[in-house]
Amino acid sequence: MGLLPRTHHGAERGGEGMISTIAYGLTIGAILYIISIGLSLTFGTMRIVNFAHALVYTIGAYALASSLPFFGGSFVLAVIFGVVVVIPLAYLIERFVIRRLYGQSIDYAIIATYAVLLIGVDACKWVWGATPLSVSDPIGTAWTILGVDLPVYRLIIIALSLLVFVVLELFFRRTVVGKVVVAGLEDKEATRSLGINVDKYFSFVFILGSCLAALGGALYVPITSLHPYMGFQVLLLSFAVVIVGGLGNMRGTFVAAFALGLVMAVTGRFWGAASETMVFVVMAVALIVKPIEV
Amino acid sequence: MQNGMVLESQSVSKRFGNFTAVDQVSYQLFEGEAAGIIGPNGAGKSTFFNLLTGLYPPSEGRISLFSRDVTSLRADQRVMLGVVRTFQLVSVFDTLSVLDNLVLSVVRFHPVAGKKARFILGSAHPAAIVAECMAALERVGISHLAKETTAKLSYGDKRKLEIAMGLALKPKVLLLDEPLAGLSDGEITEVLDLVREVHKEMTLVIIEHKISRIVDLVTRLSVMHEGRLIADGVPGEVLQDPTVRQVYWGAESSRVFSGLAAEEKAEV
Repeated sequence: MGLLPRTHHGAERGGEGMISTIAYGLTIGAILYIISIGLSLTFGTMRIVNFAHALVYTIGAYALASSLPFFGGSFVLAVIFGVVVVIPLAYLIERFVIRRLYGQSIDYAIIATYAVLLIGVDACKWVWGATPLSVSDPIGTAWTILGVDLPVYRLIIIALSLLVFVVLELFFRRTVVGKVVVAGLEDKEATRSLGINVDKYFSFVFILGSCLAALGGALYVPITSLHPYMGFQVLLLSFAVVIVGGLGNMRGTFVAAFALGLVMAVTGRFWGAASETMVFVVMAVALIVKPIEV
Repeated sequence: MQNGMVLESQSVSKRFGNFTAVDQVSYQLFEGEAAGIIGPNGAGKSTFFNLLTGLYPPSEGRISLFSRDVTSLRADQRVMLGVVRTFQLVSVFDTLSVLDNLVLSVVRFHPVAGKKARFILGSAHPAAIVAECMAALERVGISHLAKETTAKLSYGDKRKLEIAMGLALKPKVLLLDEPLAGLSDGEITEVLDLVREVHKEMTLVIIEHKISRIVDLVTRLSVMHEGRLIADGVPGEVLQDPTVRQVYWGAESSRVFSGLAAEEKAEV
């Protein structure tokens, strides 16, 4: 099962399993939130469906795994490296692919960014091989909460996602750059008409979103296994989050990520094969209730 | 009247697929003018504004500002050269506070405070910036609403806010796209007074649907119809033009037109 953790305690144990199921749901939600925010912002600001988002996620994960030995095993440094390393990549994608797609039909963006993803995935296969790699849990201990062992690392991921949420809220509501982006989300032409070069701000947001995707990828490595195609599953789930949360809606993305993480975990507990399917059922319902206007 | 040329379009056209929204319009605006552009719905007036301000690239033709070719400049670059506009559907940012709306207009004129403040929490509002924003709100008479969320404002107050944001950009030319649409009679009077006041400082172009509202304000009147400029000149003469009467009031209604003209005279 793609995004579900390899050792799914909830499915293995019986009685107290619901608590760990919820904890896993929140972990998945946290990762999904960190990854999806960039996708949501790119769609909300640029009206571009960016499949290449899954590539920076994958690169972030591989950069962490490869750099870990160079940082003497320091997980934190390796995560930071994974996040920073995608900045030039995101810049190149924005400058030479995304920027040419402004105002074009949305299918061109899908085709072009999907091409970038495929090229990138093959490059990953070439560099790192197709064999799955794994990185062990950097903390390794668990806290016992309500009689259930919860790995500290996963609790840290949940805490980090809350921190990302708070920082983004402060950034978008309290700084001028953030407010320009919020204004641009609301009405791009009116923002331009204030003499603001909105595209420059949107490029910045694009890179910020890519860095968060890389962060999500890097953080997820110890929970899952690392392979060149890891981005594909996450991409589809992130789209579900973005659609349920509302395109460009930052708070909505936060709520939707955790809700869908819980949907996955709870469904997986009772019917493992349906856990990802249920996410798309929820997405379909969201689309029926509130269709997207493109 | 023959001051310097502010704005000029040379045979600009805009096509959307097979539809020609603006068709070979050549237009010149001179310093100090208050020019009105009228025409039926769908005549291409707003599209023409979008071409002048750079929101749309023209399909053909050239646009100059102060005798400089700006056809390839972006909308935000043209704003910095002094062309500012308002929108037919009032365009303010509902999710931001009234003050923040103005901060977006003002912040570029404070390079030091502005640049440093951009990434810093809370310091989005150095005293100088706030003072300038409040002065701009004061001018349109809504400074008491500064702290409100913009979504809560009445449509008329939003229109005043939009004009305040435009003025805060220190324009040389202000393009107003149906600034009176959707306003109550009282608000129309207030906004018209404001526009008259503003005209003392800058060149104006006003798109309006109802001629009677602006006929005593404008020094020049142009009429658009099906994307073309069909008349351009002193308001009194333009309104007497048979083609204009035909377009604006239909073939059958020269009688009605005399009535309207009388009504307009009464308003003047």
